[in-house]
Amino acid sequence: MPDVIIDGQEVSVPRGTTVIQAAEQLGIFIPRYCYHPGLSTAGNCRICLVEVEKNPKLQVACNLPVTDGMVVHTRGEAAEDGRRAVLEFLLANHPLDCPVCDQSGECDLQNFYMKFGLYDPRFHEHKVKKKKAVQLGPHVMLDQERCILCSRCVRFTEEITETGELGIFNRGDRAELAIYPGGVLDNPYSTNVVDICPVGALTERESRFKVRVWYLSSAPTVCNGCSRGCNMDMHFVLDRPHLNDGRRVVRVKPRHNPDVNQWWLCDAGRYGLGWIDEGRLGEVRERGATSTWDAALAAIARAMQESDRSRVGVIASAQLTCEELFLIREIFDGARVSAAVPEEPGACDDFLVESDKNPNTQGARLLGMAGPVIGDTTGGLGGSADVPDGQAIAQAARSGELDVLWVFGHDLVELFGAESAHEIAQNVGLLVFSGTNENATVELAQWVVPTAAYLEKDGTFVNCEGRVQRIGRVFAPPAGVREDWSVLLELAERSGRPRDSHEPRTIFAALAAAEAAFAGLTYESIGTLGAPVAGSAARVMSKAEPTP
Amino acid sequence: MALPDELLAELDELILNYPDRRAGLIPALHRCQEELGGWLSPEILEDCAEYFDMEPVEVYGVASFYPMFHLKPVGKHVVGVCRNVSCELRGASDITSRVCRVTGAQAPGRNSTDMRFYVEHLECQGACADAPMIVVDGVYHENLEPDDVDTILGELS
Repeated sequence: MPDVIIDGQEVSVPRGTTVIQAAEQLGIFIPRYCYHPGLSTAGNCRICLVEVEKNPKLQVACNLPVTDGMVVHTRGEAAEDGRRAVLEFLLANHPLDCPVCDQSGECDLQNFYMKFGLYDPRFHEHKVKKKKAVQLGPHVMLDQERCILCSRCVRFTEEITETGELGIFNRGDRAELAIYPGGVLDNPYSTNVVDICPVGALTERESRFKVRVWYLSSAPTVCNGCSRGCNMDMHFVLDRPHLNDGRRVVRVKPRHNPDVNQWWLCDAGRYGLGWIDEGRLGEVRERGATSTWDAALAAIARAMQESDRSRVGVIASAQLTCEELFLIREIFDGARVSAAVPEEPGACDDFLVESDKNPNTQGARLLGMAGPVIGDTTGGLGGSADVPDGQAIAQAARSGELDVLWVFGHDLVELFGAESAHEIAQNVGLLVFSGTNENATVELAQWVVPTAAYLEKDGTFVNCEGRVQRIGRVFAPPAGVREDWSVLLELAERSGRPRDSHEPRTIFAALAAAEAAFAGLTYESIGTLGAPVAGSAARVMSKAEPTP
Repeated sequence: MALPDELLAELDELILNYPDRRAGLIPALHRCQEELGGWLSPEILEDCAEYFDMEPVEVYGVASFYPMFHLKPVGKHVVGVCRNVSCELRGASDITSRVCRVTGAQAPGRNSTDMRFYVEHLECQGACADAPMIVVDGVYHENLEPDDVDTILGELS
């Protein structure tokens, strides 16, 4: 373990650690463009210059392994002059079109100029002209003039996706980032190059020119696109409906979690959130006519009390949180309940994308509401073969064995076909649909209650590796829309089975007390990076950070 | 694979000179350009990428970096005019104009319309002592007056 002194502070780091990493451990930030912890070291941008004692020249901190007794200065005249000169070179041909650049406000050229530059520009020559709006693929636009040739995106396509679409061609001030002639950047992870671009060279087509970044709010959450549960930050606008065509969700950025998704996110997850702002259910309906929550919950509670438990069915969903599934299990005790429905497995790969497109199938298994995995890869984590699956409940409903059937989010027509769905609607006394968006089942249900999208509520999902992750609550549901957990709590009250809990946090506490797999877990211990359930195969490389 | 077998055999020999296979890429590209029509077509670049187990995009990056690799078809004879300090001071601009006039190429970097000539600018070729100079199909011609250009190019087939 070499000892190194950086800006007067001593730190012991494993052999092979670079100066930039050692400085990070001390909380000292060294500027960087080409360095990215998830990629190989290029050492070409030179902005991370530091002064190393007994070295005649400045050294790049990203590519310099520490040695025992090394003394590094990241401040001081030599290092600061060096960085300033590098920045001046990088900006020599930069178009300075910040007023129309989407990166403006989160651009490391701007940030580092203000922090480390502040020189008077001396470049009076004509700047080199290059292409300003090159469409690289379905999601990514390139501005060659803004590019500083750090090669992060090139290394991403080389090392992470191994697709090799991008390269740096030509030489000197003519050097440019470009796609291989005739190629297109459309691999399943293509938009990550936008996230890692430190400048405005690569921008997202979807959010381009929609919202200046300083109008964006950000909240941490988890992707619901598949059972991997990649960590992400949701960027949204609430108070400026004239921006982003009135939609709240503007864009999604991956949030670093070394145990789940590292720094990355797939394009399918990133662009799979249109439904949150489109085609939403906004009012309670009884047979298609507008009604009230009060009337709906009173009618459902009455029907539940009047029916024998065995004649009540719930087709829950692996899109619901653990808290909500737990409430369903407790409130509908004795009824026919399942969160599993027959679904075709979706696309998957050997990186992040899982074929199970539900975020909480593992949670449903642990709560005994879904069967075990076929071809189990999680070490037999939960799931009981005795759980009826949604198909069995639908069959019972179809043959008139149920008085009440509550469907959470699913489209019966899509799952079982139009004919079966109509028979179910005819043969069940009371068909309740709760969900976020319009679908064919909405037409058939007697009661339709609009519930919150997962971004609009707090709760937890358990990912395919058995990691409990909190989804937070990014923004409130639209007016008239309620979170499933709150609907369930009120139903419990009205049907004479009141619960002690009043919010997701306390529901989770009750769940953790009741279920061994969750024992000892709290929202605090789950933190922002999640925590593995007992007996899970989930990796534990990082310590969970407590939530503020 | 568009690379002929003899060339591949030669490359197999060539890469033995390097500790790392891919280090042989540049000499290999030179040989391909010499043997296969004077320029590197996308097919040749892709074949080289396959041969060196690299992504085509990397090979294209290397080939586009060096001006001595031609990525578009060139005329039968390649005429390069040095334009660095010594040659420029001793009349390289006049030589360039004369080369363009004699060959019919519009400017350096262009082919003549009959595709007999490709004219290009060169950086220093190390012949400063006898500036100005041109390189015709790899052969140096030094200490030139513009009229010499007519003679040199006139003798070509």
